[in-house]
Amino acid sequence: MLEPIKNNWQILLLVVVVLGATVALFAPQFGPQTAPGENVSEAQQGITNLQYGLDLAGGTRVRAPLVGYTATEVDFGGDQPDDVARAIADELENASASDITAVPAESAVDVTETSVTEAQFRAAMDASGYAYEDVRSGVTQETRDVAQRVIEDKIDETGLSGGTVQQVQSLTGEYFILVEVPGENRSSVTSLLEERGTVQIDIAYPTENGTAVEEEVLTQDDFAELGSAAQNDRGTGAYVPVTVRNTAPEGEQSPAHSFQQAVADRGFAAAYNSNQDRCDYSENPDDVSNPCLLLTVDGEVVNSFGMDPDLADSMASGSWATDGGFRLTTGEFSEAERIAINLRAGALPADLDISGQGTSRSISAAQGENYKNYSLVTGILAVFAVAGMVFLRYREPAVALPMIVTALAEVYALLGFAALLSYPVELAVIAGFIAVVGTGVDDLVIIADEVMSEGEVNSRKVFDSRFRRAFWVIGAAAATTIIAMSPLMVLSLGDLSGFAIFTILGVLIGVLITRPAYGDILRRLLTVR
Amino acid sequence: MVAIEVPEVNYTEYSNRQLVAVPLAVLVLALAIIGGWYLVTGAPANLGLEFTGGVELRIADDGGDVEQQIETAFERQPDSVRSIPADDVYVVTFRAADEDPGGLADDLSAQADEAGLSTSAIDQVSPSFASDTARTAVFGVALAFLGMSVLVFALFRTFVPSLAVVASAFSDLMVPIAVMNLLGIQMTLGTIAALLMIIGYSVDSDILLNNSVLRRTGDFYESVNRAMRTGVTMTLTSMAAMIVMAVVAALFGVDLLRNIGIILSVGLCADLMNTYLLNVSLLRWYKFEGVKQ
Repeated sequence: MLEPIKNNWQILLLVVVVLGATVALFAPQFGPQTAPGENVSEAQQGITNLQYGLDLAGGTRVRAPLVGYTATEVDFGGDQPDDVARAIADELENASASDITAVPAESAVDVTETSVTEAQFRAAMDASGYAYEDVRSGVTQETRDVAQRVIEDKIDETGLSGGTVQQVQSLTGEYFILVEVPGENRSSVTSLLEERGTVQIDIAYPTENGTAVEEEVLTQDDFAELGSAAQNDRGTGAYVPVTVRNTAPEGEQSPAHSFQQAVADRGFAAAYNSNQDRCDYSENPDDVSNPCLLLTVDGEVVNSFGMDPDLADSMASGSWATDGGFRLTTGEFSEAERIAINLRAGALPADLDISGQGTSRSISAAQGENYKNYSLVTGILAVFAVAGMVFLRYREPAVALPMIVTALAEVYALLGFAALLSYPVELAVIAGFIAVVGTGVDDLVIIADEVMSEGEVNSRKVFDSRFRRAFWVIGAAAATTIIAMSPLMVLSLGDLSGFAIFTILGVLIGVLITRPAYGDILRRLLTVR
Repeated sequence: MVAIEVPEVNYTEYSNRQLVAVPLAVLVLALAIIGGWYLVTGAPANLGLEFTGGVELRIADDGGDVEQQIETAFERQPDSVRSIPADDVYVVTFRAADEDPGGLADDLSAQADEAGLSTSAIDQVSPSFASDTARTAVFGVALAFLGMSVLVFALFRTFVPSLAVVASAFSDLMVPIAVMNLLGIQMTLGTIAALLMIIGYSVDSDILLNNSVLRRTGDFYESVNRAMRTGVTMTLTSMAAMIVMAVVAALFGVDLLRNIGIILSVGLCADLMNTYLLNVSLLRWYKFEGVKQ
């Protein structure tokens, strides 16, 4: 009973692969990921599960480095990151501590103020006394991660589905941020990247008629430094350090002093006496029992905080403003990261240099639709050309027809793969498909010629030995194609990695699945019984 | 009905020297063109936007005198304006201004809007990024070529036949580049992909030939003719696909596909010549004289 399966496994395998590709292409389970509030059929582009890339769907891609300099292998000597940042900032005229990020985990320090030159940064590093190995252009991993998260947030907030943010590295080791937003034009994407919201800190305090809010006790400009999230050094929890500016024009109160005054006035010191006292704004915002600090972004409260008793006391006594630093603490590190991003209100930690060193590509939806149709026509005509040549050469439908069907099955299987991996189909990928038809048919020609040479095929043994001989050449040819294409897969050369990936995948599917199947079909048609 | 019959070439009528002369002359000519290009323009080929930096706009041709409008719309003179009738689009290219290429993209798109032109696509590449891309591309092609060479030597384990494959692959790369220069086709990422594809494609027929001569029994000329029947069919089939792709994509203005099509067509043409003149003569020399030593 197993005999027929054993004898025809090559063809069966091809059938299974084609069926699998059909499922991947059309079954709703394999549909594209949906954005919140969107159902599968809305996320689908056309009747298949295929995802189309920028070229074919329209949209904008921006690729640019974050501007800054990074000192590597810095010896922190056990100092806290904020202290290190402040010490280095003190040596720079044109930068404050908020422009400097010290990352102990990477042993690196970066400066993101664009007016600081490499020489100035080197001089400041030397003067600060922290030993370091070298200064390179670019920023730390930490800063890139924050930038990536901020951009992802921005894209999410605008409700655009399918936007992606990645970090990519060039051959020279430089990092780029790669942002792709489908369906948007260039100017709206660049302004999305550049715009920032307004962030402020309000105080909510209990009154007889429920919660009252004193707004804008601190606004964006009042912060001298917004730190990044850090793990608490003792015990659990995480925090974001911030510093309030204690400088002001003549005759005015500094932000640190006015904030201190507001906190004292709202009775924080009286309300927070032990660690048991906490802010309950998130549970009952209309009727808080203790005063709370509210972090507000674009008019919406995103986080609320109570206050440490010691901090409240130092503010009540008026000694806090000189230093001006406090920590927004929270239970989870991920929550602290979120707070750090909220505080930035969409401002990137470093400038994205789109104009200087970046590239951007923007295609309108209509143009994308055109490209889609044109490349479809091109592909179909190329297949016809191949089919025509094959018929002209062999003039025997028994040889030529399976050849063309097999080559098409190969492309179909590749489309299935693209749907399965949700790999966005772009022009380059389509070029890869056409290349695959080309190589595929080449190999089938090798098989057909080899098998039909030297007279009739009168036994399975003769067929097998000829087929195996043909296969050596095919294997060698496939190996060279894969080797030739593999650099493109890893080098960051834009769309071309898609071309390489699908050419290689096509060659693999060809050698492992479709070519053995073609051999099997040919054997049945040619073997003289 | 027309049928394609691969003609049998009577190689015995020609000496090795005669056979090698043609492909070598073509290769030398190609190298001379590339070298000359380098001396005159400072680059071995006409570099496209991706390798020089600049801004390319696609402007929709919605009737009216768009070409006239394009002339007057921009403060800078466009470096080239190409019309693609099938797509109703004009492609306007500006080379990178050293001062502020990114601002340029913003300015140009604003100027196009002011002039009432509708822009359907904008590509902007900064010069520093472009030179980085160029370096990466050269590195990629070199790496692919090296990998292919090593693999070929590993497959055949004999010096002269392997060298023959590598030499014809090298020529297959150089000839299309020279032809691109002469036709005024720019070097873009698409053409780099095509060049890598040539490395993969072109060695197929060489491997077939070497395999037929070295690993199979039978007379040398019989082996060559057998390999040639298959090899020429293969190459012609691929060429047909590529020529169609180039023509159709050119009509529609899909540059990436057009460039890949053209380069591969030329490369496959060169491959026919190199495989059946250069490679055959090297193999013959190896088979009849090289082995005896």
